Amino acid sequence: MSQRLLSLRNRLSFAFALSFLSLIAAAEMAPLEDDVLSDVSGQGGIYLSGDVSINALGGPVENSYFGSCDDVTRKCGARIAYRLKETGGWLVLDELRGGFAFEGLTLGMRTIDTGFGGDGALFNGDVLELGLPNIVRFDDVRFKIAASSTPRPTDLGFQQTDIFTVEMQGDVIMEGNLLVFPTGNP
Amino acid sequence: MRIDKGRDYILVIHFGLLFLGLASAASAGMKSLDDSELASVSGQSGITLEMDLGVTADKVTYYDDGKGIHLEGFRVGSASDPNGSAHHVVKVDIGADASLNLGYLVEDRRIEFGDIRLAGAPGLSMGGVFLDHSLEGYVNIKQGGATGGAGYTFDTAYTMTGGRLGYRTNGNEFFLDGITMDVEALGITLDVVGDTLKLGAPRIVGNWKVEAIRYSGNALNHGVSTDAGSGALLPSYGGISGEFDLSSNSDIRAGGREGEGLRFDSQTTIHSASFLYHDDANVLALRNITGYLNVQDLRLDVATDWNNRPALALTLGAMAGEFNVGTIEMGANNKSIGEVNANFLFQDHSYNGNSYTNAIYLQGGGHAEAGPQGMRLATEWSLANADISYTEDGNRVIFSGLQSWGRGDVVLNVTREEVRGGTQFFDGLRIGFENVTAGYRINGLKVGSDDAQLQGGTELLLALGFYPSYEFELDGHITLGAGGASGEGITVNSDIRIRNGKAAIIADAYDKGRGEISQKGLWISELEYDAHVRGMTIDATADGLEMVTAESWGTMDIGNLRVGDKSAGGSLGRFVVQSYELGSSMAILPGGAGDVCAGGAGTAQMVCEASGGIWETRGEEGVTVRLKQILARADGNKKNAFSWEANRELDSNGNPVNGTGASVLLNDIYTSDGGDFDGDGVDDNTFGIRTDLAVDVYQTKVVKKQDGPDLLGVVGAKGDEKIMDASAAQGYRYVSNPTQGDLANRPLGFAVKAQSQFKELSINNIDLIHPTGGAQTAVYGVMMQNFDIRANLTATPIP
Repeated sequence: MSQRLLSLRNRLSFAFALSFLSLIAAAEMAPLEDDVLSDVSGQGGIYLSGDVSINALGGPVENSYFGSCDDVTRKCGARIAYRLKETGGWLVLDELRGGFAFEGLTLGMRTIDTGFGGDGALFNGDVLELGLPNIVRFDDVRFKIAASSTPRPTDLGFQQTDIFTVEMQGDVIMEGNLLVFPTGNP
Repeated sequence: MRIDKGRDYILVIHFGLLFLGLASAASAGMKSLDDSELASVSGQSGITLEMDLGVTADKVTYYDDGKGIHLEGFRVGSASDPNGSAHHVVKVDIGADASLNLGYLVEDRRIEFGDIRLAGAPGLSMGGVFLDHSLEGYVNIKQGGATGGAGYTFDTAYTMTGGRLGYRTNGNEFFLDGITMDVEALGITLDVVGDTLKLGAPRIVGNWKVEAIRYSGNALNHGVSTDAGSGALLPSYGGISGEFDLSSNSDIRAGGREGEGLRFDSQTTIHSASFLYHDDANVLALRNITGYLNVQDLRLDVATDWNNRPALALTLGAMAGEFNVGTIEMGANNKSIGEVNANFLFQDHSYNGNSYTNAIYLQGGGHAEAGPQGMRLATEWSLANADISYTEDGNRVIFSGLQSWGRGDVVLNVTREEVRGGTQFFDGLRIGFENVTAGYRINGLKVGSDDAQLQGGTELLLALGFYPSYEFELDGHITLGAGGASGEGITVNSDIRIRNGKAAIIADAYDKGRGEISQKGLWISELEYDAHVRGMTIDATADGLEMVTAESWGTMDIGNLRVGDKSAGGSLGRFVVQSYELGSSMAILPGGAGDVCAGGAGTAQMVCEASGGIWETRGEEGVTVRLKQILARADGNKKNAFSWEANRELDSNGNPVNGTGASVLLNDIYTSDGGDFDGDGVDDNTFGIRTDLAVDVYQTKVVKKQDGPDLLGVVGAKGDEKIMDASAAQGYRYVSNPTQGDLANRPLGFAVKAQSQFKELSINNIDLIHPTGGAQTAVYGVMMQNFDIRANLTATPIP
């Protein structure tokens, strides 16, 4: 049982890593036309729908900076800070909150052995397929880009310059499939 | 010996004899009563035999084709006095129907073997076994069995109290303490038909209880509940209890798999049963158990295993069965997580071109450093097929076509915490694995009923901590210690090493009806995995089942993340995941999400629907997993880190060489509470990443994403909803405007309500590493604060 527990934890970590990977892999992807999609044969998979919210009511930190969303004197969003120089300041994504919903994100495998202008036959292998949900609904997603002297807003000498704020509301159409081809030298 | 004649015959026999040689010699001092003698006492009120029995024998040996197994240090005597005798009273009576009635009372008896050895391997010993008990019961024997007058029919019932069943190696003991049992079996028949001894039991009913399962690491303790030094109760893993109502038929024949030996066949039906685990005042209960178990061609031989090692061999032709657990309850309110059903078939089978059978070769010698005594089970198994289903609130999901196979040594020792020969041992029952090559795989999912269409979606098991397919070579141990976080419970220490692992994150079917095929998927391949756990306590609590781990660390080195075939599929590169956690915990709680507002907000249906959400009543059953992961800061080689390496050089066989490519490293990932609030000079780290996952099997909305036929040829328009329909060719159809009746037949899937929180999660540095240029830091620290992520997700298997 201990082994299973460890595996579960590692798998959660791994899922995070996989998300990161798919972002990188997506950079090399090109959209597929319908006739190209007809050249792929699929296997079973899963169909995912749902909604996700970030800090809808606030986060778990209660201090002089963070607090409940009902408290107008506190920030209730999440915060990400990182720095690119060893002794430099911090770039911050602050007051991050909001929600999004999607319907029909599919995950499965495909075999590609034809199409793609002849490249499919040359590839003749399997790919990972992410079937994109047709619509992703963003609900009051917002964050602030800022520059900060310290990673924590509660650190001594904290200073922050807010640069701009982003707000997203409405539907984003995401049609088609994202195919991840294992090519190149691993 | 004293014989008093009176109303009853009373025989008082004092055995103080020490027998050297075969135990059968013990019978030399007793005379059996033949039929004529018994006939002479017919009509009297009976005979009462009283015996204080003390028997010892240096060695009892069973020979099979000239190969022997020695049971050494055999003793029957008092359980409480190592030099005393066990008191027996047997009342013999002849009934008016010529039946023989034996009423018996056994007080404070211990039967034990100090050691067990194979004659062919006298230097290896298995350790000792002892059984303590007091018995009171009767046996009634009538002429005439199930097939006629040549057999016998038995009625029997007994009550066992003060029972104790233990296993001892190297002065350490693991034993069931305080066993009580009531059993009644009426109408048992015994017949000899041809070369077969047939035993029929139309009904066996009873109940049993083990007050505590205890451990002793003190060599001065032997078969006692309290420590000889401190007088304190020995630590307990908890207690177990149950009830049963069975019937069975068994055939026993002479002849082993090779030459002499025994063959055993049986059919057992479980009409009802229950199994309860008690941890202090809390109970984990499996109730309403029904099923059957058929054993075919089980053979017992003294033989050799596949490595020509002498062993007591149990080899199996086939075993088929089904168990249905009507309800699994845990927590103070006996809340149920649902119903589980498993049917299975163990028989010879071929997997990935390799044949496996079912056999256990019992040998002496556990872990080489643990001491001279231990048990080694050279084991081979072949689970040719199993279907496991989970039903909650009437919704059923079946994990279909589970297969498992393996071969290797499982070694058992009772150990104490010490370092011997450079190996760290821990208090408890050590279950070791040596050169175990094993695997399992699942063919697919079915929802609703056994005859439903096979679908994909086995990757849903990842949410429960299982890969849908996994092959590996395994070494290491899991040591189960007595005592939980408080009072009774289990403490786990383990060190596991997996080599050449191939685990599926996504897996297609291995058999689509035309025989075994390459299982396509997304594979963790060429996996080398070291995992270590220290001080993980497992307790049944008022809430459910809770596991708290003092320390765990490990490295998961994935040689290739492959797409397609697990060995030949294209690789996305090498991934290394290191983990190091202090004080993490996991709780399994009964009950899922309950009422949920999916896609909206509100705690009442009208409010939810007004906000655009869908109100879902997911019922009382289901399961909630509550995780707390405390990611510790790096300490030497122990740390949380993640790296991806690609563009590696290839060796002469075309395999990538680790460490020769370019990689990105996320180094020293850790959680924090966001400050040093206790003033010890180090940031507090008690909150970690807290995740609650409430999982239910529930109907989900699945919408067609494109016009035209889908992969199974079912036609529908984009936006149509998938509705299950047994009368449709593929078991479902697409509907543009579903009615309320249609909506009641939405497909089943897993519904997960999740919440994940952390106060602070940091990455010390992100490096880009070139094989010759070395590491360059790209990011000097990442800090994420104050996250609360909530999600309602549904995952539905699709063909």
